[in-house]
Amino acid sequence: MNTMSWYPVFLREMLLFRRKLFRVGYLFSAMVVPMIYLVTFGLGLGRTIDVGGMSYVAYLLPGLVAMSSMNNSYSWVSSALTLNRHYFKTFQVFVLAPVSPSAIMLGEVFAGMVKGLFASLLIICTGFLFTGMFVTTLFFLVALLLNCFLFASLGVITGMLAKSHEDTSTYNNFFILPMAFFCGTFIPVDRLPAMLGTVVAMLPLTHTNILIRKTALDNEGVVSLSVLVCYAVVFFSIGSRLIRKYSE
Amino acid sequence: MIEVSELRKSYGEKGRSIIAVDGLSFRIRPGTVFGLLGPNGAGKTTTIRVMTTLSDPSGGACSVAGFDVTRDPASIKERIGVVPQENNLDRELSAYENLLIYGLLHRVTGLRKKISEVLSVVELDESRERVVQDFSGGMKRRLLLARALLTDPEVLFLDEPTIGLDPQIRRHFWNVIRKIGMDGRTVVMTTHYIEEAEALCDMVGIMSKGKMVAFDTVKGLKKLVGEYVVDTITEDGRLEQFMCCDRREADSVASGLQGRLTIRRSSLEDVFVKLTGARI
Repeated sequence: MNTMSWYPVFLREMLLFRRKLFRVGYLFSAMVVPMIYLVTFGLGLGRTIDVGGMSYVAYLLPGLVAMSSMNNSYSWVSSALTLNRHYFKTFQVFVLAPVSPSAIMLGEVFAGMVKGLFASLLIICTGFLFTGMFVTTLFFLVALLLNCFLFASLGVITGMLAKSHEDTSTYNNFFILPMAFFCGTFIPVDRLPAMLGTVVAMLPLTHTNILIRKTALDNEGVVSLSVLVCYAVVFFSIGSRLIRKYSE
Repeated sequence: MIEVSELRKSYGEKGRSIIAVDGLSFRIRPGTVFGLLGPNGAGKTTTIRVMTTLSDPSGGACSVAGFDVTRDPASIKERIGVVPQENNLDRELSAYENLLIYGLLHRVTGLRKKISEVLSVVELDESRERVVQDFSGGMKRRLLLARALLTDPEVLFLDEPTIGLDPQIRRHFWNVIRKIGMDGRTVVMTTHYIEEAEALCDMVGIMSKGKMVAFDTVKGLKKLVGEYVVDTITEDGRLEQFMCCDRREADSVASGLQGRLTIRRSSLEDVFVKLTGARI
């Protein structure tokens, strides 16, 4: 197998991304939701939330990075793939090329990661503007990369399963939106009701939020890292399999 | 060589499935320009999709360039070019970028030079940097053809390649396809235009309801149903046609008819009407 056969898939997405990037609307749409959260929760409601003595904005910012990287990695991939399969038919170009399903998967996932990382960078810059500092550790970077990878992989799964563009919104409402609010972005998970906490503990964003705030690797960090790696492997394998099974 | 044997393809759930291709069998020798004709819903596009590995067959066997579509699709993908019925170009990328991505996916060597060559073949050199969404329908079809030619494919599949094109561009397409055939490459094309099949194809297959109802050269097909046709308009304004095996028989039939009548050589459309009872 050619180790770079993912590159054309990635390059295509980047050429399209470059065109979108120069549109004012794109930058605005990537920033507007996290900015609203930052203002509403960070500077408003958050003042009443106790997060173990630290400032709420300092607690919230890494969570917003995790949430935003999840949203962008996932949504771009799932939405583009659904449209490319059902409406624009451009996905045919990949499946008719002599490249492996995992190469197509890798190209799509890397492209999704770039979009997630770009959105994260915007939050980090905003964090600097609001607080004058933003601490990034090795665990922050590892968690961020894994988060982008696994949610971009999940985006491929959704994109391959969705029967129409409307379907992607349904998946989004059932899986992504609840994760954004319950998985430790805005409030610590231990404040949730016990039953909800058990479910939330199994979700990937929870572990990203744990790992992204670590300054040293303890047992909890190791568990979260392991969970994220497992999710990444499983989602990537399922996505590759769905591409392999693709038939019109 | 393309070999299709008892090919079946159905869509939908069991019990409610629609059979698109129903026990199709034929063989195409290398270097042949083969035309697949039939009305809408006959199964032409589905057959092309199976042959190009885009759809899995539900039954039977199909091999292209010596490779089985289910066992070795990658080897087929390396050897074919496809012009789909629906435009699947990236609308937000330029012509050049579309070809660049395709060429990289297919590991084309000397890609920049090759892109210039194929753009020149379809006369799109001056539009290479333009974004595809600004192209006319004809330009998009030409770019699809250029893309399919980028890899110098052994077998070229063209699904309604000239649909919606004006006559001038259609003739240009014909010249390109004819040249590909003369280079010894195999071309499989579906078309609704009878004159296109007559002008280009060495062999023609006529499909109806997922089955092949005739498979021969254009000349052979005409012979099969009669080389002459007597058209007559009846008193109530209906067109009646009589297929005749030769001119003498046509003259004889015409002598027994009254009213306006014409004797002419048969066309592929006559063959189709005779064999399937439907218009193409």
